[in-house]
Amino acid sequence: MRLYIRIFLALFAVCLLGGCGFKDIDKRFFVVALGIDQSDNEKKPYRLTLQLAVPSPKIEPGASKTQIESIDSQSIAEGVRMLKAYVDKELDFGHCKVFLIGEKLARTDYQNLLQWMSRRRDIQSVADIAIGKPDAESLLQVQPLSERYPGNTLFLSFGADGTESSYTYVESVSDFSRRASEKGLDPLMPVIYKDNKESFIINRTALLNKKRVKLVLSSTESQLFNQLANDFTKSSMHGMFEGMDLVVAITAIHSNFRIGKQNGEDTITMNIKMRVVFEEAPKGLYDEQWRPIEISLNQEYAKSCIALLKKIQKANVDPIGFGLRYRANHPGKDVWKEWKSIYPNIAFKVNADIRIEGTGLIK
Amino acid sequence: MNRYVFYNFMLVSFINLMLYVPHILIQYRYTGAVSSIVIGILIGTILVYLYTSAMARFPGKGLPEILKLYSPKWLVSIMMFFLAIMWWFATTVVVVAYAVLINRFFNPDANTIVILIMLVLACGYAATRSTLSVMFVVEIGLIINAPIILFVLFKAVRSTQLSWDAIRIVANYVTAMPTLSCIAAASFIFTGYINLSLFNRLLPPNFRFKFRFVYPLFGAMILLITFFVPIGFHGTEGVAQYIYVWSLTADSLLMQYGFIERVLFLFLLVYLNLTLVYTMSGWHQAMEFVKSCIPSYKPEIDSPKTPLSNYVIVGIFALLSVLYLVMTNEKINMMITSYWLIVRLFVEIFIVIWVFVLSRKGAKAA
Repeated sequence: MRLYIRIFLALFAVCLLGGCGFKDIDKRFFVVALGIDQSDNEKKPYRLTLQLAVPSPKIEPGASKTQIESIDSQSIAEGVRMLKAYVDKELDFGHCKVFLIGEKLARTDYQNLLQWMSRRRDIQSVADIAIGKPDAESLLQVQPLSERYPGNTLFLSFGADGTESSYTYVESVSDFSRRASEKGLDPLMPVIYKDNKESFIINRTALLNKKRVKLVLSSTESQLFNQLANDFTKSSMHGMFEGMDLVVAITAIHSNFRIGKQNGEDTITMNIKMRVVFEEAPKGLYDEQWRPIEISLNQEYAKSCIALLKKIQKANVDPIGFGLRYRANHPGKDVWKEWKSIYPNIAFKVNADIRIEGTGLIK
Repeated sequence: MNRYVFYNFMLVSFINLMLYVPHILIQYRYTGAVSSIVIGILIGTILVYLYTSAMARFPGKGLPEILKLYSPKWLVSIMMFFLAIMWWFATTVVVVAYAVLINRFFNPDANTIVILIMLVLACGYAATRSTLSVMFVVEIGLIINAPIILFVLFKAVRSTQLSWDAIRIVANYVTAMPTLSCIAAASFIFTGYINLSLFNRLLPPNFRFKFRFVYPLFGAMILLITFFVPIGFHGTEGVAQYIYVWSLTADSLLMQYGFIERVLFLFLLVYLNLTLVYTMSGWHQAMEFVKSCIPSYKPEIDSPKTPLSNYVIVGIFALLSVLYLVMTNEKINMMITSYWLIVRLFVEIFIVIWVFVLSRKGAKAA
């Protein structure tokens, strides 16, 4: 009796398995990157570009093959549905690790796009997001020479597995969506260019407010920003000492900031501690006193930091999260209004503390 | 044997994520959640201490036997039947929520009802086993899954994405007046002790509760992580928009060199196990309570043959769960759950005080 029941249950479970809608892996198209642009067509404002991986038996540099599909549509969700009619396999976003937003769209309004991404269950929060210049579509058309897997180049540029550039700010979808709604912390994204048919350049950072791009940092500023906000080592710094050019590599960096009143004025004080090694310096530096060099480096670094912070302040964005810290330190209801009136006029003070560790392998 | 008490406590404190506890607390993050958490910890601790010291006076006896010692049978039967409904509900909500979650994250093409039937069959079969077997399954389930959950929690707390400023902003709202639904949600973390109502039968006569200070510490830690980590990840404003806030938090984490890169899937699988174990344990308790209403009932902890009544009662539970899924949707489920949490708080306080009074009475009589 009990044996029959057991057999029946097992068979019953097997029967139920057929009801699931699994599709085999060879019946799926894996989307590896998604580009969203603003089209010129007013009725269909979004242009979606999907980079689809074409499975290939060879895994060698340059063997990656991709298929690009684009479509203009009224909304993003409808566009993706419509694109299913363009291809023969089921679209799968499970491996979509890079999202590119066209510059034009990023300069108008990104909130719709963000909402779609947060709502979709198959868009992973750990994916990277970036702005494509001049537009996302042309960037996805680029076929890098050394690419081994479809879509791998862009993804490697962002992760810590491949290149780690001090100029590249890496932004994930979850962080972006946090910043897009948080009071006192504004979003930012890397900007991707292409130089020719085969490669990308990612060395600039766009700062956004809650709706659109407000400011695009130059590459030097982007690197400085990464040092300030992310404590990014593996970067370098340029300085002058008595008319001589110096370039130092940063081996350790630590920064923090305080908001408070100094001489009756609201001030943000940033303390930056750094350990550096010389990469480019005039010969004979080893025998000189290092302290004066450190002091002049400090002054120069502080000056460029303040210039960057002032520029960010002028654009009225807050990517470092000064506002968030202010809200944390001042409990109360009207603190956010208060901060909004303080921030445009707040003063900056940067205390750089650079320690020279050595001059490299030669004196 | 103390570890068997702790397993129950741990299981319930982990499962709070499936009962929308973080969601409820986060909704009220500016209006009383933080102070409610403090009060919830206090209430939870007091209840744990009262109930364990009361239960220690009745070694080897479950709640039905204890109540029957001093109260008329019909009253006990009504009480037990009511408790069975409470227990059934607690677990059904979890298993239904998980069926929906599978549909959302694993396979949107699959039918939710089919998924639920599969889950319910597994839990139902396990729940009909003897009390001792159920306890062992809980132990195995926790030994396998708890380290992974602690790993995910640890990873989340150590993540650089976690914004301590956001956490501090919300923590500053500690002065807001606590609300009832928040206190109910917060104290749920500590509610594992109430499983002693049945599992006390397993404890040997010379049993003593040890290391009771661990319960409040562990509960408080889990509660604080449950509430504050999502806020640190999704910001003070953004966090309120998510329905499955912890799934999203797990999805924000990356295991670069793990077998699966997305922590989400690890997290969901582990919670699948926990949900099954929790549902099994809950249904088993509800089943025993229903059986205790039958006049000829004799408590048994390890019967060699499974009585037919087990199958009948659990079968009804399973059918009702499927019905529950058909009749509700995500929104109603969440609303009902938040009311259930409040009712649970009062019922639990009532039981604990009742049993505690009985235990003192018994001491005087003896």
